[in-house]
Amino acid sequence: MDSHSHPAPTADVATVAARWSKKAVVVAGVGAVLAVVGGLSAAKDGGFGKQFGFSYLQAFMFFLSLCLGGLFLTVVHHLFDAAWSVPVRRLNEHLACLAPVMFVLFIPILILAKQIYPWMQIADPASDAALHAKSPLFTPGGWYGVSILLFVLWTFVSFQLRRNSLNQDKDGAAIHTQNMRVHAAYGIFIFALGLTFAAILWMKGLEHQWFSTMYGVYYFAGSVWTTLATLYVISLALKKAGPLALVMQRNQFHDIAKLFYAFTVFYAYIHFSQYFIIWNGGMPEETFYYVQREQGSWWGIGMLIVFGHFLIPFLAFARIDAKLNIAVAIPVCVWAWMMHYCDMSFNVMPILRPKGFELTITDLGCWLFIGGVVAIAWLRSLASHPVYPLKDPRLGEALGIHFHDEGDAGHAPAKASK
Amino acid sequence: MADSNIDYTVKLGLLAEYATPAELMQAAEKFREAGYRRWDVYSPFPIHGMDDAMGLGNSKVGWFTFCCGASGYTLGMIMIWWMNAHDYAIGVGGKPLFSPIFSFPVAYECTILLGAFGSLGGMFILNKLPRHYNPLFKVERFSRATHDGFFLFVETSDPKYSDIETRKLLESTGTRQIEEVRD
Repeated sequence: MDSHSHPAPTADVATVAARWSKKAVVVAGVGAVLAVVGGLSAAKDGGFGKQFGFSYLQAFMFFLSLCLGGLFLTVVHHLFDAAWSVPVRRLNEHLACLAPVMFVLFIPILILAKQIYPWMQIADPASDAALHAKSPLFTPGGWYGVSILLFVLWTFVSFQLRRNSLNQDKDGAAIHTQNMRVHAAYGIFIFALGLTFAAILWMKGLEHQWFSTMYGVYYFAGSVWTTLATLYVISLALKKAGPLALVMQRNQFHDIAKLFYAFTVFYAYIHFSQYFIIWNGGMPEETFYYVQREQGSWWGIGMLIVFGHFLIPFLAFARIDAKLNIAVAIPVCVWAWMMHYCDMSFNVMPILRPKGFELTITDLGCWLFIGGVVAIAWLRSLASHPVYPLKDPRLGEALGIHFHDEGDAGHAPAKASK
Repeated sequence: MADSNIDYTVKLGLLAEYATPAELMQAAEKFREAGYRRWDVYSPFPIHGMDDAMGLGNSKVGWFTFCCGASGYTLGMIMIWWMNAHDYAIGVGGKPLFSPIFSFPVAYECTILLGAFGSLGGMFILNKLPRHYNPLFKVERFSRATHDGFFLFVETSDPKYSDIETRKLLESTGTRQIEEVRD
């Protein structure tokens, strides 16, 4: 696609981002107040640090999913030399570049870690066989060190990828694509190992006695699933608002929805396999995890995940026209957020609230606060750069321009949209 | 003697040849807009955007896949229950005789198996395959549809078909050559 065919839509994305940012500031502010008020009012039950810490961790893991999901989608775009996802790649790059913001948001967890993670309260690690076996990762030094290192690595990869992408906007040279491929090639390892460590250290570490080799990929499946739902909604919103109107075609939405659909099945496959292996093995040192999650209303949340996280989106999105119908797609994407919240709660909260699921003011406050801050940071990136890769060599291909003869230039996108 | 001059063949339609996929696609758009129903295009490779140009809807193969897949899942579950818990009950490791947990992988495999059969069978049924004879095979030029020829065939059975108007429409699409197909 020639760059002269339409102007760089940077200016008009700034107004859109500014408008959305105002709402995000309110959300973050309300969230912060609710989180502190809720945390203080529940403080009699094990202390402010514990009440607030769990709610905050749950919300943090939810939004970390979007940051890592963005990194994954950017990295696989380059590894597969994909064309279709060029118009949404900048949105993913901005999500991935939230890594330093996520680090700042992680500071409360660093501070409250001793109150959140029961294993940190064990005075003599050698007295606990499970903890001893997981040394040195599950020592304070290992935990803090690896946690901080993860953010450093994610920040490095995501900023390298975005820097090259932005440079390509200026000259359109293929060398930037090749550079991004190099960063993607080692980046996939940083992503995969980093995400696995994050899931183990920050979420599975709540029950340090437990083990599951599928835990990392389980968090990965849910994270990318949620990110794709988010991507669908924000790219649709940006198409309606104007900045992505020219480049987001039927194909892009169909492909995002297809990938979301694939991850619906993938998540179910992973979570089922984890459950299935533990169920079949029947060993107490593994089963206690799911026994705990069948107490009280946690059983209902488990069922909600089986049917709501898998079956409902699976049936709702089976048809092509459903994937492209806003009246179906938007509710499915909102539903995906709710399901991911339930999933995070299912992982984090049974330790604090063994009797069953609860949605407290602190939970809501933390979720709104982190969501608001993440949105502000993301919108700031969005406003200050071109909203899609302007001169990516694959942009024309993404837009369905397959023939280069005079008679057919620009054929498919124009026809497909009517 | 005179009988040999009688033409027993029936006129089936008009076959138009195009030099490029782009021309074929534009011709397809014209036929869709003109409201023709019984026509098809032939090319050596799939052409992106042709489904939209022809105005084809979503394929119905998915319904075959879905129904067969759902039957596969149900049958798989029933089979496991019947064999392990009913007909010849086997207790293993203190587990229940039947549970959807351990039955799931096999039922899931049955879903895929029957779903795949449904897709293949549905495709055959919807395409009216196998079909060993097609009058187009008698057109010598048509063999190029597997090499470098791009064809549009419109049938005389189309409600909008008329010898003069349809030929005019084909001529307006910049075709290389129009040929009558008889059988």
